[in-house]
Amino acid sequence: MEGAILKIRNLRTYFFTRRGIVKAVDGVTFDLVKGECLCLVGESGCGKTVTALSILGLIDSPPGRIVGGEIFYHNMDLAKCSAEKLRHIRGKEIAMIFQDAQSALNPVFTIGDQIVEQIKLHLEVSHREARDKAISRLKEVGIPSPEEVANYYPHQLSGGMKQRAMIAMSLSCDPRLLIADEPTTAVDVTIKAQIIDIFHQLKETRKMSLLFITHELGIVSEIGDRIVVMYAGRVAETAVGSELLNNPKHPYTSGLIKCLPDITQERERLESIPGTVPSLIDLPSGCLFHPRCDKAIAICREKQPPPVIVNHGHTVFCHRY
Amino acid sequence: MGKTWLRDYIIKRLFYAIIIAWGILTVTFILVRIGPTSPADKYLTNLAARGEEPAQVIAAIEARYGLDKPIHEQYISYIGNLARGDWGWSFSTSMPVIELIKTHWIYSFQLILFSTILAALVGILIGIYSAVRQYSKTDYIATFFSFIGISIPNFWLGVMLILLFAVQLGLFKTYYDTGIPLLSLANLKQLILPVVTLGTGMMAGYTRYTRSAMLDNLRKEFVRTARAKGLPERVVIGKHVFRNAILPLVTIIMFDLGSIVFGGAYLTEIVFGIPGLGRISFNAIFADDYAVVVAVTLISAFLILLINLTTDIAYAYLDPRIRYD
Amino acid sequence: MTKKGIKHLAGKVGGIKNLILILLATLWGLTLLADIFVVEKIFDPLGYLYIALGIVALLYVVQPLYASRRLVQYYWQRVKRNRLAVLGLAFILFLILLAVFGPLFTTDPTAANFEQKNLPPVGFTTEESIYNPQTAQFTTKTISGTWEHPLGTDNKGRDLLAMIISGAGVSLQVGLLATGIAIALGTLIGVVSAYLGGKVDNILMRFTDIMMTFPFFLLLVFIVFIFGPNLAFIVLVIGLTGWTGTARLIRSETLSLRTREFILAAKALGASDGRIILAHLVPNVVSLIVVIATLSIPGVIMAEAALSFIGLGDPAVTSWGMVLRAGQQSLDTTWWVAVAPGIMLFFTVLAFNFVGDGLRDAFDPRSSV
Repeated sequence: MEGAILKIRNLRTYFFTRRGIVKAVDGVTFDLVKGECLCLVGESGCGKTVTALSILGLIDSPPGRIVGGEIFYHNMDLAKCSAEKLRHIRGKEIAMIFQDAQSALNPVFTIGDQIVEQIKLHLEVSHREARDKAISRLKEVGIPSPEEVANYYPHQLSGGMKQRAMIAMSLSCDPRLLIADEPTTAVDVTIKAQIIDIFHQLKETRKMSLLFITHELGIVSEIGDRIVVMYAGRVAETAVGSELLNNPKHPYTSGLIKCLPDITQERERLESIPGTVPSLIDLPSGCLFHPRCDKAIAICREKQPPPVIVNHGHTVFCHRY
Repeated sequence: MGKTWLRDYIIKRLFYAIIIAWGILTVTFILVRIGPTSPADKYLTNLAARGEEPAQVIAAIEARYGLDKPIHEQYISYIGNLARGDWGWSFSTSMPVIELIKTHWIYSFQLILFSTILAALVGILIGIYSAVRQYSKTDYIATFFSFIGISIPNFWLGVMLILLFAVQLGLFKTYYDTGIPLLSLANLKQLILPVVTLGTGMMAGYTRYTRSAMLDNLRKEFVRTARAKGLPERVVIGKHVFRNAILPLVTIIMFDLGSIVFGGAYLTEIVFGIPGLGRISFNAIFADDYAVVVAVTLISAFLILLINLTTDIAYAYLDPRIRYD
Repeated sequence: MTKKGIKHLAGKVGGIKNLILILLATLWGLTLLADIFVVEKIFDPLGYLYIALGIVALLYVVQPLYASRRLVQYYWQRVKRNRLAVLGLAFILFLILLAVFGPLFTTDPTAANFEQKNLPPVGFTTEESIYNPQTAQFTTKTISGTWEHPLGTDNKGRDLLAMIISGAGVSLQVGLLATGIAIALGTLIGVVSAYLGGKVDNILMRFTDIMMTFPFFLLLVFIVFIFGPNLAFIVLVIGLTGWTGTARLIRSETLSLRTREFILAAKALGASDGRIILAHLVPNVVSLIVVIATLSIPGVIMAEAALSFIGLGDPAVTSWGMVLRAGQQSLDTTWWVAVAPGIMLFFTVLAFNFVGDGLRDAFDPRSSV
């Protein structure tokens, strides 16, 4: 794709456990264009977090490993990078924030110290300058009295504040790409809205690229430019936000959208997709979704569906097209 | 918040420590007084054995120990004496107990100090390595040896070391020579076997505790964040993980001190003939010299109280979650 | 007494088991008092401890285990998978057999036989210098071990194997009884303290803190010094000083259990405090108690051995510590006497540690054994 800063090609990350090989990510391909917000969507366990962790090489190495594929960041294949090189990219070019801010922040160091540590690691600045930078980042994410908050420990902050602090920390070295792993999942509804606002703001002011991981379709429509839908370790469909939500092609995607409760409609029961997500050790043959798909045909059981370009920028992995 | 909290906490802990100290004194007093033979009886038996006239001495003893007074008065004078520094008279060595302690504490101190340093340095480092390289060969070997270290009776280890290195190989003397000046290499040499004896058990424990504390923390989310920030692995482990692992470690080590180290030091002194507080208490037991035994028991309890207090305060300082609650 | 009457009484004390306990305890107490003040010896002091512990164990350990046989089976399966724990159990079994049947095959451990002193174990030889006053010279004589004394003898001619076997019996008994006392006391204090809370909790915990501040072994030595070394007494004292750690652990576990729903449910159904403590709380801390008990036994055995080693053990009893002491005193002539008891102690402690660890893993729902 034009202007893509991240190109993932056929990424496969497996976990080798006593009970079998868990194919957490099994052939994922997508591009992330500079300045856009790409949303990685799917149910729990579909491989979105593992994809994100693979990008930065943060997979726990026994038992997991990237077994195949490429992750191109500016023509550098991160999957084959040395650990040293990866370290220079982490936190500086590509930053990542996690779901639960309370456990993601180190409880025995102050917020300020944790941010300053990152700044001094990557940038050649004095302690004073690093501290000033840290405070300005805290301000940027909307934390009141940032000079004071910098001296607080994580447990002294509220949930929303912790989340903001984590975002501030990730921005400390002005990364080009920010990976956000379910940043709104563990927070209250009101905080959710605030966090989304921060991301909007970051997109505007910093012109940052964003890889936003979530399982909530509502969030996706708010913030996503393009959406990648994942299922059981593979990509099901990729499209521009509005296109995907109005015109979903893959049965899984349309199923997901139908599941969203609609407050305007008169309904007796909520919709759901029949069946359950397959175990990643014991995957079905052919198209992974076929056991639950009401539109499945014979070939779906045999072969993996190839990508079909349905529209401009809209690709779907399904045999029916 | 912050500023006065630490001071208030320290004051609270000090106050509590005083209560415990009172408790220690009282329990000791009760134990001595409900014993089948009073201190006077034992003293008398020994005097009689040395040929002195019992009848005369009885009165003197009773006056001296205040045993003719009612029990609560005895109690008050007991505490009063201790506070004033009058810890009684050791007749088996013919000097005030305080003097005896003053001349001998240093031997216990050096033994415990060196053993703790050895055990902490080696134990903690191995524990960290073991945790970081879990399931590796080194981990298995370290775990194996720490199991052995905890299970070996430390007094037997001392005897075995003497058997091997002193008797069979002749590398060391079989007893501790007090003639050698303390601040000398020769002294360090003769401390090797005792320190190894006492330190091994401690080291094994420290390795295990460090390993488990580190493992617990290695699993936590903030480790992933630290790596995502781009920190080199040694900083992630050495700074982020270790700083968190230290907290439970401090508690466990402090608990160990009370239950194991002092007892171990007592036995080590006896095995090697080191004239520390343990050994003089041991000698006093077989000479029925009550005052010394009581004194050493009290001192050890107070020391542990002090260590507990210090550790509590240090812990509050180390764990911000306690400080700012 | 009518059946209804018994039921009513049982209800008052929190259950039929508690009633039986009170009855048997009273009987035990009366017998003890009679023994002290009225008649000649009915039971050995150690015997009383066994009976007391036996009653408690039967009512609160054996019967509950039997009642939940399937659960016990399940945990046993889990434990079996841990090879070290199984090894440990095998050794302990061996030790028990040794202690029970060994004395049938060996001589009296206290029998001094100066003819046969200083014999090395089978397969070893030592040299002894004998001074011949007639020739005014030293001649060296080689002595080898014989099967009559497979482990050799000490400098008084006592058979080492017999002493080791006797020591096994002592250590096992002390381990069992003293740990039993310590655990029972610690559990009682811990549970009561946590459940009743408030002032009771405060006072009990202050007391626990005070006792905990004394270094365990020094306190032991102190008390034995004051009261005299007697095996039953030593067992009692170890038990009465070693409960503090257990009390703390049980208390914190109970605290976390106490706020759980099933306790509130029992309260809502009108259960008395006593009943809640004994029928609901204690069974849930049982797994913790079992692990603590198994891991406490080595400490207790070591404590008794250490006491005997420094000479404060019961002089009428041959324990491993005592043998080690004898060995140390003649290290240059009969080194085997010092080696053997230590090895036994080491393996015993190791065995209990392995089993304790195995039990802990088996009970931990998070570990996939």
